Amino acid sequence: MDPETRGQGEMEDEERWQLSTVLRDSVLRLNPVRLISNPVMFVVELTFFIVAVMATFPGAFYPVAHASEQTFYAEVAFLLFLTVWFSTLSDALAEAQAGNTAKSLRKLESTVMAKKIVAGQKGKGGTAAETVVLTPSTELCKGDIVIIEKNDVVPTDAEVIEGIAMIDESLLTGESAAVRKASGDTLIGGSKVVSDVLKARITVNPEESFINQMIKLVESSKRPKTPNEQALTIMLIGLTAIFTIIVLSLLGLSIELGLGVDLSVLIALYVCLLPTTIGALLPAIGISGISRLYARKIVAKSGRAIETAGDVDTIMLDKTGTITVGNRRAVQFIPFEGHTERELAEASFLASWGDDTPEGRSIIDLAYQMGFLPHEVRSLSGLSYYEFSAVSRTSGTHMSEGSQSFHPKSGKILEQRGRPKRKFLDAEKPDLKIDDTDIIKGAPDAMKAGMNSIPAEFDSITNSVSSAGDTAIAVARNREALGIIRLKDVLKTGMRERINALKSMSIKPIMITGDHPVTAKSIAREVGIDDFVPQAKPEDKYRKVIEERDQHRIVAMIGDGSNDAPALAIADVGLAMNSGTAAAKEAANMVDLESDPSKIIDAVMVGKQLLMTRGAVTTFSIANDVAKYFAIVPVMFATIPALHALNILNLGVHTAVLSALIFNAIVIPLLIPLAMRGVSFRPASAMSLFLKNAVTYGIGGVFIPFAGIKLIDIALGLIIGR
Amino acid sequence: MIGLIQSVVLVSVLSAGLLLARMLAPYIANVYSYESRGRQDRLFLPIETAIYRLCGIKQDRVMEWKEYFTAMIVLNGLMALISFIVLIFQNSLPLDPQGFPGVRWDLALNTAMSISSNTNLQHYAGENTLSYLSQMVAIQFLQFTSAATGLAVAIAVIRGFAGKARGKQGLGNFYVDFVRSLTRILLPLSFVAALVFVYLGVPQSLNGYTPVTTIQGAQQLIKIGPVASLVSIMQLGTNGGGYYGANSAYPFQNPSQASDLLEMILMLLIPTAMPFVYGEMLGKKSRKEGISILVAAYALFMVDLAIALYPSTAIGPGMEVRFGGFAPVFWTVTTTAVTTGSVNAALSALNPLVIVSAFMGMLIQATPGGIGVGLVYMLMYVLITVFIVGLMSGRTPEYLGMKIGVRDIKLAVFGFLIHPFIVLVPTFMAYATRATSAIGLGTGSISFTEVLYEFTSAAANNGSDFLGSAANTVFFNVSTAIVMWTGRFVPIAVMLAIAGSMYSRDRGPTNGAGLKTDSLTFALVLFATILIVVVLTFFPFLALGPLLEFLRGHVNGF
Repeated sequence: MDPETRGQGEMEDEERWQLSTVLRDSVLRLNPVRLISNPVMFVVELTFFIVAVMATFPGAFYPVAHASEQTFYAEVAFLLFLTVWFSTLSDALAEAQAGNTAKSLRKLESTVMAKKIVAGQKGKGGTAAETVVLTPSTELCKGDIVIIEKNDVVPTDAEVIEGIAMIDESLLTGESAAVRKASGDTLIGGSKVVSDVLKARITVNPEESFINQMIKLVESSKRPKTPNEQALTIMLIGLTAIFTIIVLSLLGLSIELGLGVDLSVLIALYVCLLPTTIGALLPAIGISGISRLYARKIVAKSGRAIETAGDVDTIMLDKTGTITVGNRRAVQFIPFEGHTERELAEASFLASWGDDTPEGRSIIDLAYQMGFLPHEVRSLSGLSYYEFSAVSRTSGTHMSEGSQSFHPKSGKILEQRGRPKRKFLDAEKPDLKIDDTDIIKGAPDAMKAGMNSIPAEFDSITNSVSSAGDTAIAVARNREALGIIRLKDVLKTGMRERINALKSMSIKPIMITGDHPVTAKSIAREVGIDDFVPQAKPEDKYRKVIEERDQHRIVAMIGDGSNDAPALAIADVGLAMNSGTAAAKEAANMVDLESDPSKIIDAVMVGKQLLMTRGAVTTFSIANDVAKYFAIVPVMFATIPALHALNILNLGVHTAVLSALIFNAIVIPLLIPLAMRGVSFRPASAMSLFLKNAVTYGIGGVFIPFAGIKLIDIALGLIIGR
Repeated sequence: MIGLIQSVVLVSVLSAGLLLARMLAPYIANVYSYESRGRQDRLFLPIETAIYRLCGIKQDRVMEWKEYFTAMIVLNGLMALISFIVLIFQNSLPLDPQGFPGVRWDLALNTAMSISSNTNLQHYAGENTLSYLSQMVAIQFLQFTSAATGLAVAIAVIRGFAGKARGKQGLGNFYVDFVRSLTRILLPLSFVAALVFVYLGVPQSLNGYTPVTTIQGAQQLIKIGPVASLVSIMQLGTNGGGYYGANSAYPFQNPSQASDLLEMILMLLIPTAMPFVYGEMLGKKSRKEGISILVAAYALFMVDLAIALYPSTAIGPGMEVRFGGFAPVFWTVTTTAVTTGSVNAALSALNPLVIVSAFMGMLIQATPGGIGVGLVYMLMYVLITVFIVGLMSGRTPEYLGMKIGVRDIKLAVFGFLIHPFIVLVPTFMAYATRATSAIGLGTGSISFTEVLYEFTSAAANNGSDFLGSAANTVFFNVSTAIVMWTGRFVPIAVMLAIAGSMYSRDRGPTNGAGLKTDSLTFALVLFATILIVVVLTFFPFLALGPLLEFLRGHVNGF
């Protein structure tokens, strides 16, 4: 069977299986004992039981029930049941979605047999012999040493202690290219070794791995409520209590004053007024936040972390890798007087021939793109390189006469990219004879020392380059200064927009960089950041987090190295890179599987969206009450026809109650997609987000039910002709 | 609908109130500040120091919220006890020229708890029941202390919200705040007001009632006493308990249009000033927090007025011809908006919609509400509103940079829940125990309105009522007494507890990170939330009472 179609079939099976599970789960959740954690829905279920009894024995409820209304009671009971069921359905759906997340996580965590190294008896030579024992990954403990060979799956999170190998992490990150891991790097459980052999130390106990933590969070039905959920639940209980007092007083007064209120109508009013919409959707909203974050390949260790992410005031961004692509790129050749751009570019090309750093490659790239390909490329011999050293702070190439065959290190790149064509003209047919030549490039001040003469504009050009925040590299041929290469930090695409988005939401970005203040400032200005920490050491990050927290700002930060762990631990939101060390991952409360530091912004967005969704549904739920009062109150007192003047929707006596109940129930499934997806939003200031939501869900919440109830009333009139 | 002159009167009274309140606010804020108060101190400090020394008050002692509350409740309990004793034994005490007998225990209890809770629900007609001493000691004295209590509590709550950055004094010292309220605000203001009232023709005398023969030859008793001094504090302190049973509809208590307007401005004065004081005490940057509260309060007040003025304001039976039809409507709305409860016309003379409007004022209790407590209620609504809608700004709800936590919501919702409970349960009880039929009330919407009004007024510490001395029965005396104290002190305790925890709480950056609570938008949202969450809650009951009367087309159906 074709593997692809098989996969599809499996998926369909899975979905079908899921639908029935969801349905079964939603019914199981109707159990009042389970519902008690959702007080609003629990109360609705109680009222359902009361009305159900009313429908069966109306006589027992005299004078607030009448035998002639038995059908109506059954209808009300059915609608009440529907309301509760819609609520449990939304729970079940959200759980199923989270279950999928857990399942895909579990795939990573599935048990594999690991090759554990156990120290054996003393061998002949007196050294301890090592034996390899096959052990299930679930039995590995912190500190165990395992050997992982080609095609083995990394059993659980571990740290490489010996060897270098290529690792496939595509299951976790979706990145197809294998990653090179050497001693000190972190291995993630579930990734696969594609070449070579590694020896690694297990860094977590089986139940501690963050994937396990995540699975626990997603699967546990007794997920701890976040502080905001707790407060909201109390608010909902309070509202329920108020409406209980009101309805009981109405019931008592109705009997005392002989108002002829029907208990079922009163219960209908009660349930309509209760914040059922938010009560029903509150758990689903919370769970879907976790799922949405996981869809972005970020694993949150708690629901609370997601909420806090929405509240972030300050984000600490590492410059390298987050704001900039990480490497400086050559952008300009500035020749000195008496030299041409071509001369400088070709010399730079040659000087970088042996330089395999990204900067070096970018110089070759720039020269190549500008069409400056030195003729020496064709025939070089005895090519040797001056490696960069911290002492000389220069590097370069030494050329002497030799054979035509050579294979420069960086030349590979050009070949691989498939642009082997020379761009210089035939007329320029080079003189094949080459004298011994030294071409050196390096930091301007280091280069100065070795020059025969220093051009007058050397300093001014160097200064103008560095004062723009860029890096100047001087190039010299045989001790003659040719010019300056301008290297620039390159911003990640879209970074400026993302920083602007942050600032529009009143979040202060802080850039952390090891660069010189001038360079740091230039990058910061370019990307729009006002606050930055230049020449930062790891402990500066920690200090800055403390500083911000002392101003009672909520801080988010990213980290990967072990020295980031303390800062990650005290930051309110700490996002660790999956490629980072185990210590960092342990200290953080979120882990990004793709190891993309700029995704901290995504985490903030998801947090905000979660909070907004919760607020929107709450507001909508409460605003709905207006219409429901006007639907039910005018018709609820049978003995007071004068109140019909308040019946502004002109509803029938029975249909008013049924329409309001139907609307109340149907709104729950209609809003499930909103709860799962979250309210849509574009980054903007808190007030404009608020205004937009307040208009949609507040004002909309007042008027939509008027229209909805009236429409349902008309539909009911058509269907049952009442 | 109202005519041009009436609109002018309406606008000028309200703007005069606002203007005077704005002018008074910095002074009030200054009274309670712990920094040097300059000239003010030179005048008042010697008197206060003498009082502190006499009572053994350690004025530097900083109180926790529990201590503050305990001091307040004990002092008020003591005052109520004194009042109770004076009322019971008034016949054996001096200054009883008319020889009124001692007051029955349940009425004395009701009166003592009513006046001490700033309610002034009166199940008696003062001029026919109370001696001069009772009027002065049991009533007027407590009108001062209850108003001072309200002010002190508001100041303590504000200090809590303002936080430690604004002052190192915790919630303050109840005794100091209490004494300063009296010496620096209430006594001077009511002294001036009393003089003006005397000038306008309000009696101030201890010479006993004077029998006269009218032109037609009939015998009449001119019932005069220390009226002016009582009227000034009863309006200024939003007490509302009049010298006479007919309250400010009685000519001696409210002789002219001028005194009528002045009394209205007096009752609006301090409640309107409190939001300004709040802004002032929060600090320069947060001054607008007070404005948004004031805007919401006055917007609700305007809704009340619009509802009440919708029907025609013609003179009906039970209205004072001196004032016409408009003044009683305006007065009734105002007196419930600031929960004073004084009246200048019989409530039963008013259009049912005016009564709906009066209910709204008493249900909200913060438009702008009673002296001090109006602001306290408003802050409770602010917390609840911020909590409900604040999430929509994409952050967990925060007010003044403080996260609203589980405990805050627990307390605020509890305080919020008290009101419907103490209004509705006793109303039902009144019918269930047949206490209503005992005083001749039926089951119709008119009687229902009267009973519901009685308990709403008691719970809101308003004090206006339909029943008056008709409710002088053990059931109504005791039940309303309990309702009044619960409605007064439970929300106060709740808000002090919240303020106490807020005082030492850390504050995040307030510059636009979350929902801006000092904006007009927030004022509107607050306004809408209060309408939906507070007023609509009682919609079914209003529909059974005054609203039903209106729908039945009764113009003055009570």
